[in-house]
Parts: sequence; structure tokens; C-alpha cells
Amino acid sequence: MPAREGVYGLLAEFETPGDLVRAAQQARQDGRRRRDCYTPYPVEEAAEAIGFHRNKVPLLTLIGGLMGGTAMFLLQVWVSVLAYPLNIAGRPMYSWPAFIVPTYEWTILWAGLSAAFGMLALNGLPALYHPLFNAPNFRDGATTDKFFLCLEALDPKFDRAETKAYLEKFKPNSIVEVEY
Amino acid sequence: MDSNHNPYTKQLPAELGAPAFVDAWKSRALVIGAIFAVIAVILGFLGQAEDGLGWDHFLRAWTLGTMLTWGLAVGGLALLMVQYCSGGKWGLLLRRPLEALSRTLPVIFVYWLVIALFMKRLYLWAQFTTAGDTAAALKNGVLTEIQAHCIDFKRPMLNADMFWGVSLLCFAIWVYYAVRLNALALQREADAPENTPYWIKKFENISGPGIIIYSITMTACAIYWVMSMDVTWFSSVYGLLFLVGQGYLVLAFCIIVAISLSKAEPFKTILRQTEQHDLGKLTFAFVMLNIYLNFGQFLIIWSGNLPGEINWYLDRIRGSWGIVITLDFIFHWVIPFSMLLSRDLKRNKKRLLRVCQWMVFARAFDMFWLIEPNFKDAARNLHFSWGILEYIAVPAAMFSFWLAYYCTRLKARPLVQVNDPHLEEILEPEHANA
Repeated sequence: MPAREGVYGLLAEFETPGDLVRAAQQARQDGRRRRDCYTPYPVEEAAEAIGFHRNKVPLLTLIGGLMGGTAMFLLQVWVSVLAYPLNIAGRPMYSWPAFIVPTYEWTILWAGLSAAFGMLALNGLPALYHPLFNAPNFRDGATTDKFFLCLEALDPKFDRAETKAYLEKFKPNSIVEVEY
Repeated sequence: MDSNHNPYTKQLPAELGAPAFVDAWKSRALVIGAIFAVIAVILGFLGQAEDGLGWDHFLRAWTLGTMLTWGLAVGGLALLMVQYCSGGKWGLLLRRPLEALSRTLPVIFVYWLVIALFMKRLYLWAQFTTAGDTAAALKNGVLTEIQAHCIDFKRPMLNADMFWGVSLLCFAIWVYYAVRLNALALQREADAPENTPYWIKKFENISGPGIIIYSITMTACAIYWVMSMDVTWFSSVYGLLFLVGQGYLVLAFCIIVAISLSKAEPFKTILRQTEQHDLGKLTFAFVMLNIYLNFGQFLIIWSGNLPGEINWYLDRIRGSWGIVITLDFIFHWVIPFSMLLSRDLKRNKKRLLRVCQWMVFARAFDMFWLIEPNFKDAARNLHFSWGILEYIAVPAAMFSFWLAYYCTRLKARPLVQVNDPHLEEILEPEHANA
């Protein structure tokens, strides 16, 4: 990747999630497309406010769960009916009630693993470097008690002075210019 | 957080009583109840003329209606007690609707009286009350050997006196808890806000033991009223099945009530999407727990394959009952599970309402499968008769009449408890404390 230089974006720090969400909603309405929210804990409304409502994790989870369940069920059918047929108390070889518990367990296991790894694959983690960590208040606050909105320089509407004035309207604690 | 300084906080409306359309629900329920009551009586005569079982079917369906409404009344009481112990904002929403559920117990008592008075038609053990009776019935081929043995063996527990005694005691206990919790709720409302910690403790101390006593009394009644229809069978998970079924039913019903009420104040203000989503998730958990217990019971009995137990399932699978149990599985689990899995659906009022209405129906359908095959004419032999339609008419009528009474209980009090620390939070915008 070519080295990037210059301004990554303007980072506004807010005291409460409510302030952050209102600012993010407004920024979205005003057509500022390149933006992101950073909070110490999940704030669903913030995700919705920046238009990040849909992602593919639920679908991956569903597919993973269905695949896990089907695989385990078929494995048991193969073992009990084809590979090692055993007469157990005179029951049919294909005794589906007995297969349900492992099938259920594998459904959960694969749904869980798909959710976790699917999330990692889709959100780009683990990331070894992110420019926002250059901002000292972000390093201290983003994982404890502060709420951040970043308007990024890649946005066509981005202009250092204008965007700064724009962010001032939301009365943040501070606005920091973040370098790559 | 001090809500007075947050300019985005919503205001509680001045009028906190149930909106006027609750009266319209009541009259609609009464009309529907009357229609189905007439149909039920006609079906009774038709069934009687057809196979002589019309009034028997009427009583069996009556038991279903009783169990359904009883599940709502005592299940509501139980969820109220759970809520007092667990806390949580979802409970503040539901507290008044749940209290109203617990105050419908008089209707349930009247419904139950009919079962008690006609117990000879419903329970084999009530027909054959002495060892001589069972011996004679065995000789005549009315009873099987295992039935005769079970009736004699279980007589100390399954007899008319015990049936009345245990049921009345259980009713007395539920009424005590319902009256006490309802009365204290009003006292708390009249008290100063500073005393809230005292009241929270007080409600906890009543509800905690109440939940345990409730689960015991509820199990006893489920055993006497439904399980003993088949004298040969027993299952240690039976009470729990009903307990979870009540959680399933009561949550679905309360979501229906909350969403329907949210067309007007005060629920328009206090029903936020966050709490609606939470209630949907809780309901989803009960859908899962319900299938877990039901399938667990089946798997254990299927694995054991013992002659004393397996017949209960064979009665309910063979002779076309397999269709009903397959449908039951789809209605009761597949549909609510796959619907409630969706986050968007749980946050959508209209769709969540439809799923919850479906769940109330599914619960009734499940009890049809539980009750009807207990009887000789229906076990392993699902067949159409006029009488079987009573399972639609009678519970529909009973549920409608009960619902009309519930509406009057709902109107009796303001729908929001004002004197609660959670109230401030519920008026805040959703993301304030996400």
C-alpha cells in the first residue's frame, strides 16, 4: 500500500452518547459521507446514525449454523446407517431423534464461530495501525468514557476550516486534526 | 442522569389511564365470545347425536380453555414476581398489564369449577373410586390391566377429596399473592419517592419465595387437571413444561397488549423500541426453552422405550396423530423461532404483533395435542367428529369472555407506575443509555 500523508480527518470528542448520535445523524443528513463513530461500548443508535445498519454477519451466522447442523446430522447418518451399522435395542438404523443433540450442538458451534470469524473478516480486524491513535485524547478516551465522531478527509465535502466550523456547531469537548 | 437538564427527555402524558378503545375491545370480545358460545352448544348437540361424545368433547375443550386462560392469569402473576426480583425496564412497561392478568383469577376459578363438578367425565380415577370398582371394570374390559393397577396404586393422591383440596389450596395461595402484590403496588404509588428502596426490598421479599411456591402449586395443578387424565403416565418435567409454556404465552400476550395499547397514550410514550426489542428477545428465549424441554422429554422416553412410558407418546403419534404433532412442531417452534430470529422483526410493531398472536394460537394447538389423546376414543385414532370442533369453539368463547374481563381490569388502574426510578430512564431518548 502506498504511504499516505496529510490529514486523515477531524475528530470531535463528545461527553455523552446522545450528543454523538445527534451529531452523527446531522452529518449524515448533510451529506458528509466519509464518517465514523467510536464509542467505548456498543451504541446501536450510533451505528444506525452513520448508516451502518446492514452487514453480512447475520447471513454468515445463518449459513454457518445450517452447514454445521447438516454436516453433523449427515455424519451420524453415515456412521449409523452405512459405515458401522449396529443394532441398538432393536431400533432402526436411521434413528433421527438420537442424532438431534449433536446436530444442535454443531449448529450452535458453527453459528458462533461463523459469527466471530465472519465479524473479524468483514470489519478488517486485526488492524496493526490506525491513524486515530495518533490523537492523545482518542487513546485515553475511546475505550473508557468518551464518544468520538470522525469526519474523514476523503469526503468530497471535506475542507479543513469549513469542516472544523461545522463540527463546532455540535459543541464537542474538542476537535483534533488527525494525521495519517 | 438528571432528566430535568436533558432537553431531549420526553414528558409523561397527563392522562395515564387505559385509552378509550379498551372498552371497544371489551364489547368486541363479548360479541365474539357469545357467538362462539352458541356454536359450542350447537356442536355439543350435534356431537351427542353423532357419537354420544358431544358433551365429553365440550368438557375436554373446556379444560383446554381453562388451562389457556389459567396460564395467562397465574403466569402473569409469576412473571410479575420475577420482574419484582429481577428489575429491568421491560418490567416497568408490563407491570400494570401483568397485575391486571393476576386479577383475572376469579374468572379462572369459575372455569375450573366446571371441571371439578364434572370430573367423572374427564378422569378415570374419578369414575372408579374403590378397589371393587376397578376390579369389576377390569373384568368387563372397560379398563386395561395397567390402568386398573395405576388407579388403585395412585388412589391416595388421585381422588375427589384431594383434587378439591389441593386445587382450592392452590387457588387460595395465588389469590393471596395477587391481592397482596396488587394492594402494595397502590400503597407504593401513594408513598413518597424517597421510600423507593424500602418498597423494592419489600416486593423482592414477597416475590422471591412467591416464585418458588408458585412453581410448586402450579405443578400440582397441572398434574391434577391435565396429567391425571391419563392415569398410567407420569413425567417429572411435566410441571416445568407448563411453567415454560406459561412464560411463552404470557410474554406473547403482553407484547400484544403493549403494542395494541401503544396506538394511544400513555403507552405511545413509554413503549420504546429498545424495550420492545428486549421483550422480543425474552420471548425468543422461551420459544427455545420450550422446545428444549419438550424434545428432552421425548428423547428420554424414546431412548428408554419402556412399556410404562412410551404408550403416552404412541397414543399421540399413531393413528394420524403424527400429522398433529408435526404441525405442532412447526406451529409451536419452527415459525416463532425463525421469525423471532430476525432483529428487524422484533423492532417492527406490526410484525411482532402478528408473530405473538400466532404464538397464542400455537400454545392452544399444543394443548389440543396434549389433552385429546388422553381419551380412549381418540388415542391412536385421530378422526373427525362434530365434537372435535369444540376444541375451536369452546376455548375461543372462554378466551373471549376472559379477555373482556381482562379489559375491565386493565381499565381499573393507571397504566404507568409513576413512582419508580426506572421511569426517568424510559422517558429518555433511546441512545442516552444504550
